[in-house]
Amino acid sequence: MRLYLGGYAQGKLQYVLEQYKTGPLRVVEELPRGEGDGEIIVVNRFHDWFRARMEQGGCPERELDEFLSRYPECLIISDEIGNGIVPLEAGEREYRERLGRALVDLAARAEGVERILCGIAQKIK
Amino acid sequence: MLILVIGGSGSGKSAYAEDLTIRLSGKMPRYYLATMQARDEESRKRIIRHRKLREGKGFVTVEQPRRIWEALNGMASGSRQGGTDDGRTGGEQEKLPRCALLECMSNLAANEMFSGEKIGEDEAADQIFQGIVTLSRGLAHLVVVSNNVFEDGMRYDPSTMAYLRLLGRLNRELAEAADRVVEVVAGIPLALKGPERTEEIKWGS
Repeated sequence: MRLYLGGYAQGKLQYVLEQYKTGPLRVVEELPRGEGDGEIIVVNRFHDWFRARMEQGGCPERELDEFLSRYPECLIISDEIGNGIVPLEAGEREYRERLGRALVDLAARAEGVERILCGIAQKIK
Repeated sequence: MLILVIGGSGSGKSAYAEDLTIRLSGKMPRYYLATMQARDEESRKRIIRHRKLREGKGFVTVEQPRRIWEALNGMASGSRQGGTDDGRTGGEQEKLPRCALLECMSNLAANEMFSGEKIGEDEAADQIFQGIVTLSRGLAHLVVVSNNVFEDGMRYDPSTMAYLRLLGRLNRELAEAADRVVEVVAGIPLALKGPERTEEIKWGS
């Protein structure tokens, strides 16, 4: 698994697609259930999926674990959302906390982590 | 040379960009392209404060909140030949190559998108990007300052999200076109594109 981080509108998906021109990629915006066909899953807007599962009362952390055991070769793209004023609203705070911790965990397990700013990637792991 | 400098608020990106422009310009005239619109007392005060900060650095200020390429007319017309903001004489330097510091993309993008006639994201992006390309062709060096305002995870109203997409796109296009891209963190320049260590760059024209 590889992790791609960066702010909103920084060209993360475009960068990932350029890196994997040859491979069979499947870009998804929610974690697929079941087994794959050997294609590389690209989870785009991971943060939005995570937030939606929180709002639906799911447990995105556990679902992510299950997903990773089925798709160890996936690519995950997430917005950085923690570099702003901590919001007053409790749900917004919980979202930032839980997503932040999930990203720390993903980064620790990832084979590589890249941070994208202005379309330019920096390898940070 | 076109250089993009990006950082968060209070990161020290402006001070870095000013020093960079001074080093790059050497004996060439240097222009400060100011994009803030003096709409109220607060912005007028801020403009005065920024002018004070630049005093003694030899910049000629050109107020250009929109249609950035027109700043070239301000430089060529000779109307500002009288000297710099801090009294340095311009004189013969008018004929030499010139450098400019554009501060900043986030103001320029907001001015183009929200003031005057309403234009869409794509139109605004093309107009601003082409304007900067035109501008940079008329200069030996152009340093552009932009803001990293994309990492707070907020879901703003649709027009603010459209503005964020516009600024993100402009940053990407400028980064692609630029010879160097520098991120400033706590006053420390990190090279995203160009020479690895910014302090080792040879600044000869």
